[in-house]
Amino acid sequence: MARIAGVNIPTNKRVHVALTYIYGIGPTSAKKICEKVGIGDGINYPRVNELTDDQLNVIRAEIDGKITVEGELRREVSMNIKRLMDMGCYKGLRHRKGLPVHGQRTSTNARTRKGPAKAIAGKKK
Amino acid sequence: MARSVWKGPYVHPSLLKKADAARSGGKNVIIRTYSRSSTILPSFVGLTFAVYNGQKFIPVLVTDTMIGHKFGEFAPTRNYYGHGADKKAKK
Repeated sequence: MARIAGVNIPTNKRVHVALTYIYGIGPTSAKKICEKVGIGDGINYPRVNELTDDQLNVIRAEIDGKITVEGELRREVSMNIKRLMDMGCYKGLRHRKGLPVHGQRTSTNARTRKGPAKAIAGKKK
Repeated sequence: MARSVWKGPYVHPSLLKKADAARSGGKNVIIRTYSRSSTILPSFVGLTFAVYNGQKFIPVLVTDTMIGHKFGEFAPTRNYYGHGADKKAKK
């Protein structure tokens, strides 16, 4: 069991994969962290349960002060969206209506934002 | 792609002139503009602009969170009142 940045307990995986279980760390930044603290050779990384406590602490220190992750990042994102909505700009209106924000078509598709398709009454054949 | 920094933010020259006049002159002057693509500058905070949306002028009171956005973002050009069927279903 290894706890990094609060509640995350990724183990049994290689370090650069395990770190991506943290919200806010993807493959790129995970590899950058490994490179910075000198774990792995850029191709092969040890598994989390093979790391010493010291190495884990170095990784923790690298993440804690320098990268916004987890709750803090989630708050930042939702604050940014809230700011857009309160301001009443176009992007905010799109967020409010649950429609795509970046100018995609909505005649068809856009199901990720709009949710499952709703049946239209009286539309058969 | 983002605009080059060396060019500075785009603001229509006549709009800039009107805003300067409004700030130095009396208050509660609504500045009418067609320039939806102009950037909102920090010096515009507190002024009211009437931004054209293709049909009429939408009043926009500039607050400090709006800095860096364009005027057009605050005057929607399309109005969607929903489908007839949707309205019936809600009632």
